[in-house]
Amino acid sequence: MNPSVSYNVSSSPHIRSPLSTGQVMYDVILALMPATLFGIWHFGVHALFVVLMSVASAVLTEFVFDYLTGRGNTLYDGSAVLTGLLLALCIPASVPLYVPYIGSVFAILVVKCLFGGLGKNFMNPALGGRCFLLLSFGSAMTNYAVDGVSGATPLAQLDSGAAVNLVQVFTGHAGGVLGCSAFALLLGGLYLWVIDAIPWRIPVSILVSFAVFMGLFGGDGFDLPLLCLHMVSGGVFMAAFFMATDPVTSPVTAPGQLLYGCLVGLLSAFFRAFGSSADSVSYAVILSNICVPLIDELVIPKPFAYRDSAADAPFTFDRKALLPPVCAVVCVLAVSVGLLRGVAGVTAGVVEQRQLSENLTAYRVLLPEAVDFSIPGETAKAIEGLNGAAWGSGFGNAVIQEAVSGTDAVGASAGHVVTVRTMDGRDGPITLSVGFLPDGTLNGILYSELNETPGIGMKVEEDAFTGQFVGIPAGTLTLGSDIDAASGATISSTAVVNAVNAAIDFHIAYGDMMD
Amino acid sequence: MIERTFRGGVHPDDGKAYSRDAALTVYEPKGELVFPVSQHIGKPAKVAVSVGDRVLAGQVIAQQDGYVSSNIHSSCSGTVKAIEKRRTVMGNLVECVVVESDGKFRTVKGMGAKADFRNMNRETILQRIRDAGIVGMGGASFPTPVKLEPKNPDGIEYVIVNGAECEPYITCDDQLMRTHAGEIVTGLEVILSLFPKAQGVIVIERNKPEAIAAMTEAAAMSKNIRVQPAPTKYPQGGEKSIIKVVAGKDTKMSQLPAEAGCIVDNVSTVYAIYEAVCLATPLIRRAVTVTGPAVRNPSNFIVRVGTPFRELLEAAGGLVEGAEVRKAIAGGAMMGIALPDLDVPVQKASNALTLLTVDGAEESERKLTACIRCGRCNEVCPMGLTPQMMGVAAERKDYQKYENRLYGLECISCGSCTYVCPAKRPLMQLFKDAKGAILEARRAAQQGGGAK
Repeated sequence: MNPSVSYNVSSSPHIRSPLSTGQVMYDVILALMPATLFGIWHFGVHALFVVLMSVASAVLTEFVFDYLTGRGNTLYDGSAVLTGLLLALCIPASVPLYVPYIGSVFAILVVKCLFGGLGKNFMNPALGGRCFLLLSFGSAMTNYAVDGVSGATPLAQLDSGAAVNLVQVFTGHAGGVLGCSAFALLLGGLYLWVIDAIPWRIPVSILVSFAVFMGLFGGDGFDLPLLCLHMVSGGVFMAAFFMATDPVTSPVTAPGQLLYGCLVGLLSAFFRAFGSSADSVSYAVILSNICVPLIDELVIPKPFAYRDSAADAPFTFDRKALLPPVCAVVCVLAVSVGLLRGVAGVTAGVVEQRQLSENLTAYRVLLPEAVDFSIPGETAKAIEGLNGAAWGSGFGNAVIQEAVSGTDAVGASAGHVVTVRTMDGRDGPITLSVGFLPDGTLNGILYSELNETPGIGMKVEEDAFTGQFVGIPAGTLTLGSDIDAASGATISSTAVVNAVNAAIDFHIAYGDMMD
Repeated sequence: MIERTFRGGVHPDDGKAYSRDAALTVYEPKGELVFPVSQHIGKPAKVAVSVGDRVLAGQVIAQQDGYVSSNIHSSCSGTVKAIEKRRTVMGNLVECVVVESDGKFRTVKGMGAKADFRNMNRETILQRIRDAGIVGMGGASFPTPVKLEPKNPDGIEYVIVNGAECEPYITCDDQLMRTHAGEIVTGLEVILSLFPKAQGVIVIERNKPEAIAAMTEAAAMSKNIRVQPAPTKYPQGGEKSIIKVVAGKDTKMSQLPAEAGCIVDNVSTVYAIYEAVCLATPLIRRAVTVTGPAVRNPSNFIVRVGTPFRELLEAAGGLVEGAEVRKAIAGGAMMGIALPDLDVPVQKASNALTLLTVDGAEESERKLTACIRCGRCNEVCPMGLTPQMMGVAAERKDYQKYENRLYGLECISCGSCTYVCPAKRPLMQLFKDAKGAILEARRAAQQGGGAK
């Protein structure tokens, strides 16, 4: 034995668990595989490209950032792969490939790296990327097409009052984002739970509080099938098991995790009931992420020996340190809400007039008796609830844009106009308005957007074609029998008839509420 | 029935397979033996011999100095070669009495004389334990007589024999319980005779079925002694964990076990009490495990205090061919002290020499990432602390928050948080630094106050 040998000297413990940060990330990636594979199978090969693009650009962005800033390679921790995969799973499978690319770059570069990299980001990078994409590419991000056929998401259908099959939605056989199978997500979530990779408190408190608050705010009470439907759609499972449980952006203490889960559930339900349904959960999680440092400070558990005496609270509460930030948050929220309500009240009329004036000329032509036009609140809310999704089924990709009602000189109803935009034109989108007279007949159509090829598709603009839509009953029209196609412009004619039918169908559903 | 356990804890690979079935064998040292005068918590003992003196095994060579202190005995016969500062397992230089052994191990007169504790009064028993220089042999090395004289002896409900041996790799207590169960039960009866209202509880982890069987059999005749098996979970053998398991109470750092109605003594300590009271033998020998993947013949030895660790490794057959020792540990892998080399003596509280070929701390430096805030450390802390936040506060040197809001001084240094951390944060190191700085500042403030 060599007497000069010197062994390592360090603080105990001298053995460590085999678990590493990389292993933690790969466990989550593994847990996401059922949802990923289902998404690729359900939506087709383009979904695979979306996943690959998202993951590859996330990894590349982190690599380039590490290289340029000389931080040393951090890819081995697996967090970039996970962020890319999570992002891919919460965008529609039909998006052009630049969408996941931009989303991943934003998620990794802006949300994660610029705030200090792994462990330092203040919100979930994948959700940050998703919300950035929602704001930047609204239409692509809400175009939920399966095999090229657009369909409304279960939530949009729910909002519009259509019947939805709970089992189909649960298994993922419905429109939605790439990772839309609640069943596959649940499988992965349970796996993480079993291997102790996520604290049970977060998913449980999210799901329970979401159900409770949805029952309170949703307007339908505690209707079990409906609540279940809300739970399995719109990314609730994704958030509960994968997004909100991201350790970096969730609280580290047991009471903090419960508080945080309840906050996510509350905000999700609140946003879904009163805001835009598709993004409610994403924004709820992000807002709760931002509250995490505060929650962590709010409830620090006491050691066991200090906890059990009945006189003591089980956690420390530093009033002096916490009062200012809590007060600040409450005040800012109160002032903002007050201001927004005030501004909304003042500007509501102006906004409506401005919207109207754009199409006023068209409306006057379609409803010649009308002297005054208004946007009825009920239908406006319904259209907003659709969130850009196509109306009904069988009308192609036709989106209801606006519904106005006209009143004549004596204040009686002069009919309605419904504006539809279809993506099925031969050379681009077509937007048209349909006039409905009070006697239940159509009073013609007018285009406000038409880019068809002159001499072919453009023939749908000719009076010979449009004239057919005047004076006929407002019931579903069939090309060939009710309406003759413009000669040599079958595709464009089909698109127009489908769009008009969508408007008629919408008018059947909401016409009564417009006066 | 679900066995009682404490909250938190971890399940490291216990590594006991190396030495668990190696029978206890006596190892007699060859050359010089080294006796640090401070092998216990409290005041160092006063050297009572001079260079050149002849000493016998069992002779006091350093006298207890004050109430919280302990006698040091020579464990061999021979000549005092030097009295000088030497490095000990603690890593610091301590005054040591160096005895050149004559290889005969002649003992002082009267040592080994059998006596029945039932014929002794309380003071005689305590005096024998005091004279024998017994300290906590599980690692804490707190003078045992001090523990046995609580303010309110009638308030003691449980005398707990700590046979959990939750530290990975170590098996000496296991072997001692298997082979000396009767003596340990007698030792426990000695302690119980001091606390007439108390019940004796022997706590053993489930991974030692032979020890559980042996102790249960030995205790069968004693009405107020029972064996309580406990789930195998680290740190089951921590004083606070074992009190929780037996008495169901959580204790603060400032609370002595006696305040929770408990006296806790390690298996080896109870055996030493038996030897001291019933065999008039001071604490000069103890069971030591030499183990780990690097050791050729992992062994459990009865060793004389003062024997260099290097000799024990040789006695265990040296290293496995081609094995490279990355870490040598006095004690176990979770709480033991890393040794730079093996030229330090076995002390009263040395229960093992563990030689690892893979150093977890070294590996951790390679795998280190930023804290991902997963909260696993908070889940496993047996004290209910928040190591994640303590780590952040310690890193920022925010000692005010560390101490007052996070109760960082309640940390028992079990290392569970550091073991479980996937980001491989050096939490234990941070806490040791923080606790050191806080206690240092407190001392400085007290001295400053005294000077005024």
